[in-house]
Amino acid sequence: MGGVSDTLGTNFVTTQLDKLVNWARKSSLWPATFGLACCAIEMMATTMPRHDLARFGMEAFRGSPRQSDLMIVAGRVSQKMAPVLRHIYDQMTEPKWVISMGVCASSGGVFNNYALVQGVDQIVPVDIYVPGCPPRPEMLMDGIMLLHDKIQRGEYTSGRQAV
Amino acid sequence: MASQWVAAAEWPEKVASLTREGWWLADLCALDTIGLNGGAEDNDPSKRFEVVTQWLHRERKERVTIHVPAEGDPPSVPSIIETWPEATFMEREAYDLMGIVFDGHEGLARLLMPENWEGHPLRKDYGVGKIPIQWIPQPVMQVDAPGQAPDSISAGHQVDRLGQSPVDREEAGAP
Amino acid sequence: MSVHESVLHALDERGHGAYVESFDPQDDHMVLNMGPVHPATHGVLRLLLELDGEIVVRCEPVIGYLHTGIEKECEDNNWRGAVTCVTRMDYLSQLFNEQAYCMAVEELLGIEVPPRGKWIRTMMVELNRLQSHLVWFGTQGLDMGAISAMFYGFREREVITDFFEMTTGYRMNNSWFVPGGTWDDLPEGWERAVRSIVRMMPARLDEYENLLSTNPIFLERTRGVGAISQEDALKIGSSGPIARATGIDWDLRRDMPYEAYGELDFEVPLRSDGDVYARYEVRMDEMRQSVRLVEQLLDGMPGGDHKNMDPKLTPPPRAELNRSMEAVIHHFKLMTQGFTVPPGEAYVAVESSRGELGAYVVSDGGTAPYRVHVRDPSFVNVQAIPVMAERGLVADLIATIASVDPVMGGVDR
Repeated sequence: MGGVSDTLGTNFVTTQLDKLVNWARKSSLWPATFGLACCAIEMMATTMPRHDLARFGMEAFRGSPRQSDLMIVAGRVSQKMAPVLRHIYDQMTEPKWVISMGVCASSGGVFNNYALVQGVDQIVPVDIYVPGCPPRPEMLMDGIMLLHDKIQRGEYTSGRQAV
Repeated sequence: MASQWVAAAEWPEKVASLTREGWWLADLCALDTIGLNGGAEDNDPSKRFEVVTQWLHRERKERVTIHVPAEGDPPSVPSIIETWPEATFMEREAYDLMGIVFDGHEGLARLLMPENWEGHPLRKDYGVGKIPIQWIPQPVMQVDAPGQAPDSISAGHQVDRLGQSPVDREEAGAP
Repeated sequence: MSVHESVLHALDERGHGAYVESFDPQDDHMVLNMGPVHPATHGVLRLLLELDGEIVVRCEPVIGYLHTGIEKECEDNNWRGAVTCVTRMDYLSQLFNEQAYCMAVEELLGIEVPPRGKWIRTMMVELNRLQSHLVWFGTQGLDMGAISAMFYGFREREVITDFFEMTTGYRMNNSWFVPGGTWDDLPEGWERAVRSIVRMMPARLDEYENLLSTNPIFLERTRGVGAISQEDALKIGSSGPIARATGIDWDLRRDMPYEAYGELDFEVPLRSDGDVYARYEVRMDEMRQSVRLVEQLLDGMPGGDHKNMDPKLTPPPRAELNRSMEAVIHHFKLMTQGFTVPPGEAYVAVESSRGELGAYVVSDGGTAPYRVHVRDPSFVNVQAIPVMAERGLVADLIATIASVDPVMGGVDR
């Protein structure tokens, strides 16, 4: 599951190689900068010396979605921003994962109204939901650890076909 | 707080005289007076919308609030962006969220909502857009006698305190 | 001569002066879209740039990518609940939003906040100003390429955030102010925490100045860049550090004192160049003045109630509920419906870290606000970006945006 087995098709069985590739993928996930609102500040605080996301190989936030494989949607997604979000997600190359950080991204949050998309999973498939308003940096790191486990197991987003 | 009402026709002149005296425009926003008793002119439906401006005089250290009822259909008020470019975004927001048209404001377009959005969200007849919370139907908890905790196994009930039946729990693989 | 002038000079020498000095629309201008997803726009600001090579001919900000309908949401919550909505507007100066809103509601109610409540609010707000300026320092450095500035700024910010968590329970978006004072009193041990912040900050601020203030690269990139004249600053409505950097000597804390500022001793930094470096200096000095203010507030904190204990406004203390029937009734009414505010309107402005932050509140006599409108300083300051950036280079635009320090939550609300 995951790793190279998807690209090689059904003629080869790869087990240790899969594990190696999955380990490599999870150890240097590069997030795309998608900080929108208050959660973006906590995401920045997670990369800063107190909480230090660089321990997990993730301090390199790439400006270009083509170079990144994780999109942390940090903040509230408004009606005007929704097509931009999908655009950026489509530009990311496979394999890609999405963490929905904060309650506004997960479900609309405090704001149950006309202006926000009620949950970013209406637009992009989400792997991990991290609740909080905003989540503490430790909570975000916990979500990232869960994602690392998920990648190590070789799972792509549930419901999405591996390319 | 000092509040004044100025008719829309006299608005540009009033702005010019305020500027000459040294007032600074702090804020311009829109108000839907349909729910307020009185408003400007006893709840006159043609004067439902108002533009509310806040002014600050730095030398005299005073503030004043000026209401300009918007007349006509669509409700309109002369624009003041010639004298106060600050009001460009403010007038566009008032147009976007409340539907007040500013005469003389070129490029009056939606600012905060997408361009093809219909309706003006901050009006009182536009709902908040809430999605109501949907409750999963819960089984009713049965209690035999007052003061007794619902205990499914001994009383032979179908569901326990968590709303699960023993059959469900077995299928879910609980210990 | 700055980089900007030397480029213009070089272009002039080669006979391209006409390109630069006249702004007739020409066919070979490139339209470039910057944002809304961009590492150097602070949040989701989108700028449409019309470029002639590297020179910005026209710049138009497009906003609305974070519009959350907070003003409409406030009408759906009661007077106390609207604080939790308002606090998420300008999310870096969260307590300023709350302070402006609460002061406007207090004006409508016609009540007084007890002295301790005022002093606590002022202290929290000055710490918030410090916190916000530290993020500005970090992002200004980051955008100029001084990435260490980001780490230093956030390191100090964490210490202040710890104090906020100790007091309000939240790191950010603490909806802690209520109309009438603050929700709860300061916890035990707060003096030691604030004292350690006050002792630590001056040396750290010296460290920051050593890092950037005399650095030749930083000076080259910020002197003479993104300049705005005093009349333009007035007409475009900018306030706060941007206005004070052009020589407009106005600070609401000193000139129209509110809360505890009338009794405190502080200076208001002023510069006259109006460029990025002047704004940098103004904010650095403001950080020092904030530390000075916090120290005075710490030393002189009065005793007494932290909020107005009028039973129609504030839930009674829990012990009262055992003894008094009226207390139970008041508690019930306040928790289910909330308090009512007499009809009227009020506009109150505070000096936030970005400028004049005003809250315009209208009441129809009910338990929920009829209209809440927040005059956000970033909303108006974003209009100043084209004025500062036109005729400059694209690299100067980055410096300019960082120095204007917009927070898109406040811009779009």
